[in-house]
Amino acid sequence: MEKISRYLLVFIAILTLAIILPKLYWMAFEKPIRKPFILYSCIYDDFMIHRISEKTWKDTKGQQYTREEYEQKLPMMYLKQLLASGTMPDSIDGVELDMHDIAKAKSFFRLKINEIDAPVSGLYPLFESQSGRTMLDLPEDFFRITWRIDFIDAATNKVLEEKSQMFSAALFQKGFSFPAKTISGLSTPRKSIDEGYLIVDSKDQLFHLKMIKGNPYVKQIDFPDGLKFRHISCVDFKNKDFYAYLFSDKNEIYILTQDGYKLIKWPVDGFVASNCDLKIYGDLFNYTVIIEGEDHIKAIALNPDYQVVKTYTETWKLKEEQTEVKIFSSLFPAQVSMTSDNSKFIRFYFSPSKGLNWIFLNLLLMAFHFIWLYGRKVKLKNHMADLGIVAVCGIFGFIAIHFFQNKFFD
Amino acid sequence: MMWKSVVYKEWLKIRWFLIGYTLLGILSIGYLFLTVKHGFAFTGGKNIWNTFLFLGHQFFSPLKYVPLVGGLTIAIAQYFPETVNKRIKLTFHLPLGENKALLMMHAFGAVSLLLSFLVFFGMFAGFSLVYFPVQMVTDSIISISPWFLAGFASYFLVALIVLEPEWKFRFYYSVVGGFFLTIYFAPAQTAAYGPANSGLFVLTAFLSIALLFSAYRFRKGEM
Repeated sequence: MEKISRYLLVFIAILTLAIILPKLYWMAFEKPIRKPFILYSCIYDDFMIHRISEKTWKDTKGQQYTREEYEQKLPMMYLKQLLASGTMPDSIDGVELDMHDIAKAKSFFRLKINEIDAPVSGLYPLFESQSGRTMLDLPEDFFRITWRIDFIDAATNKVLEEKSQMFSAALFQKGFSFPAKTISGLSTPRKSIDEGYLIVDSKDQLFHLKMIKGNPYVKQIDFPDGLKFRHISCVDFKNKDFYAYLFSDKNEIYILTQDGYKLIKWPVDGFVASNCDLKIYGDLFNYTVIIEGEDHIKAIALNPDYQVVKTYTETWKLKEEQTEVKIFSSLFPAQVSMTSDNSKFIRFYFSPSKGLNWIFLNLLLMAFHFIWLYGRKVKLKNHMADLGIVAVCGIFGFIAIHFFQNKFFD
Repeated sequence: MMWKSVVYKEWLKIRWFLIGYTLLGILSIGYLFLTVKHGFAFTGGKNIWNTFLFLGHQFFSPLKYVPLVGGLTIAIAQYFPETVNKRIKLTFHLPLGENKALLMMHAFGAVSLLLSFLVFFGMFAGFSLVYFPVQMVTDSIISISPWFLAGFASYFLVALIVLEPEWKFRFYYSVVGGFFLTIYFAPAQTAAYGPANSGLFVLTAFLSIALLFSAYRFRKGEM
């Protein structure tokens, strides 16, 4: 029993060290990767690249600009600055610039990797979509979807039976198959207008649910067979062109228009929801889609008809090729972390080190331990497991077996 | 009959600490739900739910270190007196088997802690269900479970450290134990610990016999 307890303690120590030592190493030596800020210029018909750490402003051909020249090529982004300095053009490509139109068309959307793999609460407020008020009020009840839709009054924590039955019946009549797989919407009252929720049911059908004058509004949205949505992000843009960005399980990006519920696929390649961040800048003339991966950035400019105008890709050294990563891989065979940049869940994230350089240190520590045992004239057969632990777990195992020493009387 | 004597001896050591800690824990949970009740009265239920669901407010966060304190308290109350004049050696002379006597002591401490935690857990779940629907209560329980597991882990680790005869190794165990406990307390969104809780449960179970190692070193005179 004592020996078992020791090996369990050695295991706990190895796990702890595999979490703590790499964490301390990265705190000391990690260097940030400064990603460039890229936007498409509707004036210059090229991407403009601002490298914040280097304080440079260039185009894709390497032509350098002053900050002022750079801003003049991006009038939709630096509108206020250009108005203040009197350099705002009156028209672009024959289109007269109206401040109201510019403001209406401007949008920004961001999806971080860890927003997809994250806990969801399962309870949402359903706002009154046509309250006649300029400000939205947070409703008194929240809904959940299980075998039906339940509205629960927050003040009393009781199910509102009449409302629940009315909305359940409305969903059922439209062919909704309970329960829901995903419920997507803007749950905040701080939005210009309420457009309810987009809900994927248990048969992967897509529905739009909202409440109008206290009554349910349910619309089933048609889309091609076989399409499955992995994530839906509803948006509240001023131009009210579309309800949401929808991401399929094949990493395609769709929008759902407010005019006729048309599902439009954007011709955007290279987005992988599991390891890329996404930014989309919209303005009067273009959408600039920015896909940020671990070792690259891809910019895609779309015109207002969502056709690709231009693309630009930039890559940099993979993290594994950096000196500090190579040293890490020589010191530690792996690392464990409870958190990840790719998820909001807490898990035991195990990442083996790239390559096999760590074997040298492992063998060196094993030899050192062997000599240490030899000097103490112990029976080696009692320490074979420890030698194996050092061979596999390296520095973590070495420290663990010396903290919890193998000293047992035969 | 011997086990009854062992249990009685352990009860005499920890009873006031256990009762005091349980009462303080009950008061903490009572206070926690008084704040919730106050929030409902002054801020309104919908706003309390909204901040919990969408703004990251965790109404249960004041409970974070309550189980940890319990584990530390019971372990120190139970094992520290055993190290004074090496009294634990008397236990090793009982006609029970050294490990059996030790595990009996340990099981008593762990079960005492478990009973205390069950009272807290029951109160927490019961009061929560008054104010919040099942989904929110389940998510809250997922979030507080690692803290309660940390309470057990701290109890097991302190027993290991206190019974270790050498100060140098006590320091080593404290370093590993201290860092190990941090994995139960990672900053996390509500219910984020869902995938990790089963693994944490297994690791905590592993620690339950950790004291056999230091107790072995103690009785073999590794000092």
